[in-house]
Amino acid sequence: MEIKKTAIAGTLESSDVQIMLSQGTDGIQFDLESDVEKQYGKAIKATVADVLKAYGVENANVKIVDKGALDMVIKARAIAATQRALDIVDEPMWEVL
Amino acid sequence: MSDHIQDLHLRSKPQRRMWQNFLTERGIDVFNDTEIDVIDETIGLLDDHDQLVGTGSIAGDVIKYIAVQNEEGASGSRFNMVVSELVSRLAQRGVFHILVFTKPKYTDSFEHVGFTKLADSDQGVLLEKGEPNIQTYLADIPKVPAGKEIAGIVMNANPFTLGHRYLVETAARENDFVYVFVVNQDASLFKTSERVELVKAGTQDLENVIVVNGGSYMVSYATFPAYFISSPDAVIDYQTTLDARLFKNWIAKDLHIQTRYLGSEPYSHTTDLYNQALQRELPPEVQVKIIPRKELGSGDAISATSVRKAIEEDRISEIENRVPETTYQFIVSHKFELQDRIKKGKKDGD
Repeated sequence: MEIKKTAIAGTLESSDVQIMLSQGTDGIQFDLESDVEKQYGKAIKATVADVLKAYGVENANVKIVDKGALDMVIKARAIAATQRALDIVDEPMWEVL
Repeated sequence: MSDHIQDLHLRSKPQRRMWQNFLTERGIDVFNDTEIDVIDETIGLLDDHDQLVGTGSIAGDVIKYIAVQNEEGASGSRFNMVVSELVSRLAQRGVFHILVFTKPKYTDSFEHVGFTKLADSDQGVLLEKGEPNIQTYLADIPKVPAGKEIAGIVMNANPFTLGHRYLVETAARENDFVYVFVVNQDASLFKTSERVELVKAGTQDLENVIVVNGGSYMVSYATFPAYFISSPDAVIDYQTTLDARLFKNWIAKDLHIQTRYLGSEPYSHTTDLYNQALQRELPPEVQVKIIPRKELGSGDAISATSVRKAIEEDRISEIENRVPETTYQFIVSHKFELQDRIKKGKKDGD
C-alpha cells in the first residue's frame, strides 16, 4: 500500500512515542530519537516495521521520537499513524489488530 | 499532579496579562505587534490550582513563545507536554513541518523532542521538525554537473523587473549555471506563485538559469521571529546572520554554489545591513558579488517599489520600460486585481 498523506500519532510525553509517517521512495527509512536508542533502538524499529509490513507498506519515511514507550504503546501509535497515512481511519484492518 | 491544557485568548485582557507576566518572568519580554499579530493560537498549561505553568503559540508553521515553569524532579515533562500539544494541533491543520526560533541554550530541549538544528548565531537558533524537511527540499532541486561554476541569487521579485533581469543576466554570463531562488512569502503584492512564474517567464531565454521557489528556507529574514531578543539592534544582526548561515551551510553547500550575487542597495538601510552580513558570513566558501543597480539614465535606479507605486497610482504606461515584456503583460491583464490588493493593504516587501 502507498502512503497517501503525511500522518502523525502519539505525543512527546513520558512513556509515549510520537510516530510520523510520510511518503518515501527507498524502502522503510527510520529516523529515531530516543534516550534508550542504544538498548532498545532495534526493538522499537522492529515493532514499527512489523506494523507497516502487516499493512503492506513498502516505502515510507518514519520519524520516531520515543519517550520510553512500552512495546504495545509503540504498536498502537504505529497502527494509528499508518491508518491515518493510508487514509483508512474508518476501515480498520482487523487482521492487523 | 494533573496539569491540563487550555486555550489562551490573547484578546482577553486578563488572559493576555497573565500570559505576558508569565513570559516576562522567564526572560521573554518582547510583545510587539509584528510578533503577536501573526499568532494563530496560544495554549496554556495549568496545574491543579489553575495556575499557569506553561505556554506555547502557533504562528503558521512556526511555534513560539514557549515557556514552562519546571517542577522539581520532572524537568522536561511540562516542556514536552506543551510541544506535544502544539505538534498535534499543527498536524490537525495539516502542517507537518514545524520551525522554531529560540535562544541557543534551548537547542538541546528541542533536539530531544525530534527537532534538528539548521542554523545558529550568538543570539538565536533555528530548528525544524517533520516533513518535508531541508533535505527533501534540496533533493527536489535540479542538480547541475559537478565541476562547474555555479552562482546563486535570492530575490523577492515583487514583481520581476529589468533590474532583476540585469542581475540574473550578469550572473548567467559569468557562470556556467545560476540558481535563482524566489522568496516564498505571501505578504507581498504579487503572490509567490505569480512571482515564481514571472521570474521563469522573464528568464526563459537564459538556458543556464534555474528558477526555484525558496520554500521554507528562503523567506524574508525580517519575518524571523525575534520575540526572545530585547535589543532592537541585536534583532537585525540575528536575523541576517541566521539567514546567511542557513544559505551557506545548507543551500550553497548542497548545490555547490560558489558565488552569491546581490544587487547594490542605495535606498533601504536594512537591506544594506543584510548585504553586509552576507559579506561577513559567506566567504571564503561562497564569494559575494555586488552588482550595481541598473539605471534608467539620469540616475534613476529601477526598483520594484517604484513599479508597485506606479500600479497603485494607475500610471501603468510608465512601467513598460522598467519590466520585461512578460511582467508587463501580466500587470496589464491583472491591473484591477493588483490595485484591489493594494487597497486591501497587502503591499509590503521589496
